[in-house]
Amino acid sequence: MRLNDLLYVSIRQVLRHRRRYLGVVLAISLGVAGFISVITMSRDVKRNINRDLALIGGVTLIRLHWENAPFQKPQWFRDDTISDLRRLPGVDEVSPLAQTWSYSIQQGRKYPFMLLAVDESFWATRGFWPLKGRLFGPEEVDGRQREVVLGADLAQKIFGTQEVVGSLLEINHDLYRVAGVLGGLVDGGLSDAAFLPLTTAQDRIPGLSLTNRLYVRCFTWDDVAQVAAAIPGIVQAHQSPEHLRVEVFWEGLKRVRHVVWWIESFIYVAIGATLILGGLGIWNVMMAAVRSRTREIGLKKAMGAEDKDILAQFLSEALCLSLSAALVGVALGRLVMEITGFILGSHPPEELFLLCLVLGLLFAVGLGVGAGLYPSLMASRMEVVSAVRYE
Amino acid sequence: MNKTFSAAEANGALVQVSQLSKSFANGAGFIEVLREVNLKVFPGELLAVMGPSGSGKSTLLFILGLFLHPTGGSYHLAGREVLHLNRSAQAEFRRRRVGFVFQSCDLLENSTVYENLEFPLIYAGVDRRERPALIAGALDQVNLRHRLHHATNHLSGGERQRVGVARALVNQPQVILADEPTGQLDRSNGHLIMDHFREFVKGGETAVVVVTHDPEMAARCTRVCLLEDGVLYER
Repeated sequence: MRLNDLLYVSIRQVLRHRRRYLGVVLAISLGVAGFISVITMSRDVKRNINRDLALIGGVTLIRLHWENAPFQKPQWFRDDTISDLRRLPGVDEVSPLAQTWSYSIQQGRKYPFMLLAVDESFWATRGFWPLKGRLFGPEEVDGRQREVVLGADLAQKIFGTQEVVGSLLEINHDLYRVAGVLGGLVDGGLSDAAFLPLTTAQDRIPGLSLTNRLYVRCFTWDDVAQVAAAIPGIVQAHQSPEHLRVEVFWEGLKRVRHVVWWIESFIYVAIGATLILGGLGIWNVMMAAVRSRTREIGLKKAMGAEDKDILAQFLSEALCLSLSAALVGVALGRLVMEITGFILGSHPPEELFLLCLVLGLLFAVGLGVGAGLYPSLMASRMEVVSAVRYE
Repeated sequence: MNKTFSAAEANGALVQVSQLSKSFANGAGFIEVLREVNLKVFPGELLAVMGPSGSGKSTLLFILGLFLHPTGGSYHLAGREVLHLNRSAQAEFRRRRVGFVFQSCDLLENSTVYENLEFPLIYAGVDRRERPALIAGALDQVNLRHRLHHATNHLSGGERQRVGVARALVNQPQVILADEPTGQLDRSNGHLIMDHFREFVKGGETAVVVVTHDPEMAARCTRVCLLEDGVLYER
């Protein structure tokens, strides 16, 4: 039997019995689509989950600071150190920070607070967003503008309300316009703090320490250990790493990874189960097809078909099923990938999708052969007389 | 007809079986269905094999079609011993030399007449472009060309059996083996099938072996044999 005849006959057969095969095709295509979606979008989804989890546990945040002891020359992070840290693989954001105590006098009353000098990357690094107004950006930082962001409690304390956007606040005898009120999961007393653009604060706030604190946000928790290990080397390239402290929330990281490992395992098990069910489905429908087509098998052998022709035909039908299901799955997976990419605002590399496509098709071939072999062998070994007399 | 053929006598026979026997095992022992059957079928012959139910007619035909292996004896088809061939070579013989017509108008369901006739050609490796002419020719022989693309489940019983005959003819075999081809047909359709068989052997190069228990159909054959208790007699 020629290959083109084999394909033609098999495709015709599958199309004629498409209703019988619909469930199996659907199961396999869902499995393949799930596989493609998980593989292509997992990094972006993980990154998003990271951001959300970081708000709770800060597990992808590495804290760097100097333990400046008395009678020692104070240390701070140089600009080239910060630039190199930003270029480190696995690093999403780096935010420098300087701090001092300050106060404001409002209607004759003095309000002390912690003053933090930060740049525009601080908000994304710590996962903050504006509760009111806006958080200052690169323009305000580069323009050394006199703007301030207040913690919600501090705004309430000084002004008696959080509706303070546009108000003027006096800090160290200078007036600053309130740009916004800090929102998000504010921890560590930051709700009682005020935030100034780093450049403005360095110009105007006497006694402000140099940037002796850095926050490094990693893309995913998988990057944390590697980034933490690389930091001392990067720092050493530009300055002495003596008294440098690198803090990672290892326990939190371990727990988050553990939880996500379980979630990922469940997803993979679900996909695997779907594909195995699809395989069993192929096996089942092919067994049913062999039984219901017993007379047909006998007739074809009487017409001169050899065992290998019958084997090839049933195997090819199983392959047609699994491959067509895989193709539908690839199309579905691509659709899911595009939609998820649109929602997350990212697009995975095209090569990764092509790799998944090839893997999906190879898997379909394996599934088709694996699930179709036994029924096909059964069909090919039938004796003509018993087959044509089968009722 | 219990006579062993010599090699000289076999000359020219399309089908020649000698000392053919077949027994089946059952729980109590063996049942001997064919006992030392000797048979020669020559080109141009339309041979009827008659006998009561269970006499071994179909078993003999299945052995001639290489669907069953006998317990003993020899079988030459077109001058070649075929019982010792492997399954693949036997299938090749079936494709090239033998056409088979079943009793129950067996056609491939959910298919058209064309597709039914195409399968023997597919298995014989006939080029796709040559098939339509061969199929049309075979249908012409049974006057069913107008049904070429009809679904088989839209055909009458007589038409289905004629399609079965056309399918047996399409590879231009040397021998047609028919297992009670008129058994489920009315009289006129039965005669129509016999007409096709007579037409087929008219050229003198081919032969037909028909198993039947209908004396009227047997009377239209050129030779009649009787099979009783596994023994074949010339009538």
